[in-house]
Amino acid sequence: MRANLAVQHSGERNGVVRFENVGVRYGSGPEILRDISFELEGGSFHFLTGPSGAGKTSLLKLMYLAQRPTRGLVRLFGRDVTVLKRPELPPLRRRIGVVFQDFRLINHLTALENVALPLRIAGAKKEQIEAHVTELLSWVGLSGQVNAKPPTLSDGEKQRVAIARAVIGRPSLLLADEPTGNIDLDQGLRILRLFEELNKIGTTVVIATHDRSLVSTFRRPELRLQGGDLTLHRPAPTGVDRLRRVDPLPGA
Amino acid sequence: MFHRSELQLNRDTARRFIPLMVAAMVYLATLALAGAVVVGATVDRWSEGLRGTLTVQLPGGRGDASVAETAARTDTAVSLLLETAGIATAQPVPASDLESLLEPWLGKGNLPADLPVPVLIDVTLDPGARIDLVALQRNLAGVVPGARVSDNGVYLERLVRLARSVQLVAGVVMLLVALAAVAIIVFATRAGLSMHRETIELLHLIGARDAYIARQFVTNALWHGLLGGIIGVVLAAATVAALGVIAGEVALPVAGLRLPEQLSISLVLWLAGGLLIPVVAGLVAMGTARLTVMRTLRQVL
Ligand SMILES: Nc1ncnc2c1ncn2[C@@H]1O[C@H](COP(=O)(O)OP(=O)(O)O)[C@@H](O)[C@H]1O
Ligand SMILES: [Mg+2]
Repeated sequence: MRANLAVQHSGERNGVVRFENVGVRYGSGPEILRDISFELEGGSFHFLTGPSGAGKTSLLKLMYLAQRPTRGLVRLFGRDVTVLKRPELPPLRRRIGVVFQDFRLINHLTALENVALPLRIAGAKKEQIEAHVTELLSWVGLSGQVNAKPPTLSDGEKQRVAIARAVIGRPSLLLADEPTGNIDLDQGLRILRLFEELNKIGTTVVIATHDRSLVSTFRRPELRLQGGDLTLHRPAPTGVDRLRRVDPLPGA
Repeated sequence: MFHRSELQLNRDTARRFIPLMVAAMVYLATLALAGAVVVGATVDRWSEGLRGTLTVQLPGGRGDASVAETAARTDTAVSLLLETAGIATAQPVPASDLESLLEPWLGKGNLPADLPVPVLIDVTLDPGARIDLVALQRNLAGVVPGARVSDNGVYLERLVRLARSVQLVAGVVMLLVALAAVAIIVFATRAGLSMHRETIELLHLIGARDAYIARQFVTNALWHGLLGGIIGVVLAAATVAALGVIAGEVALPVAGLRLPEQLSISLVLWLAGGLLIPVVAGLVAMGTARLTVMRTLRQVL
């Protein structure tokens, strides 16, 4: 179970994300993640599932460089994150788009300004930013809320602003933490299709969710976290009982 | 759009005290500086007036009968002084001047005729000349018993030493005040970093460099330093001006310390300082804030 599992049956050596025997614990508590090993190939699309408290957010944090592993090796875009020098972090982070579980919007900035933030930080020109951001906001159905500030938005609207901010920079790696948690199924499907579009043009996507209906609608491989262990589950060719099928692990 | 900063430090009510603290610091430092400048100017004037001068004192004669005798002894002393190498002039202080010096104590016209008023002789030396005071004293006492030479240089030296000490203290005060101001900026910057920890983490996660975050603190600190500097300098200038007015009215009984005159002499200095001090305060605040942010952020992921 804890052996290396090469996601997407590929022989490629350095995927976009590679974990080797990664463990995470908070303080002196138990290990939330134990001996996690996997590799995500560029252009792949995965769900990350597991019950609440299983460690989905913790795993994503390792991938978006908000946290270092307690032990083990984490590689992003072929770089060992534990030996990265400080000036090397921002360029790496700019290749990663994150939809945070709690949105993390800046309340005194408008939806437009919030979405524009990654571009602004990366030093893009104002004129380029505005048209681009307005277009994306209307795509996520917020053309009427361009100048609204987060406190006046509903949770679903905030979530869509957060999603727009995550994808505005066309990231190589998109990590979404429960991105459909606060929106209805129709909108959820629409958002997922946006992620699929990005995936088609090469973005590696990981979506943490506990929403089974999403997982069954979008027949994508599933990384399942339970009791600190990670297992890979592939959708069956037919839709009937695909979720119960577990791929045999290489070396397991 | 896009003019708003992400941290909005200028909206933090807790930060509003910073310009006031900086103003208080700049006020104290400016007063110390002004004090040092005034003392320096005063000492320069004293030095100019007293350098290369001696005072010779002859015992006064008693009663009318002694007037002629006193005059004779004065002449003897003056001619001996003028013969001495290195002495340029020797001028007895007129009796009327001596009487006016005593007036504050004895009242006008109340000088008793038999008061043994000593004779003072102002002596100026040739520029750069050095006199053997012991030998001069001995020679003088030989012709006029009881004559005494006092070297104003010794007096001056003590005054200068005192003035330099005052200036040193002023310097220490300025240094301490600057350190306190730096400490305030460090403290406020750290508080700001911790208060906005979540936003800063977000900025980092979406790819902001430390310098991007530091810029918001630096802009804020520059503004606080300039504002505090201007307020402090204006208040200090007003205080010194008020002191000058009071000193002018009361006519300070301290020899040589004529405040208003020195203040007008250093008007240019005030103008230069008035511009320079806030700029320096702003730059120091800026540098301190940047250093604090960069050092603190190095410890986060
Ligand atoms: N910063 C933290 N400090 C201490 N414990 C934490 C922290 N973050 C998460 N945990 C704990 O780690 C476990 C996994 O949390 P999380 O990664 O948020 O799971 P999930 O996203 O799957 O709900 C939980 O038991 C949670 O309480
Ligand atoms: Mg979570």
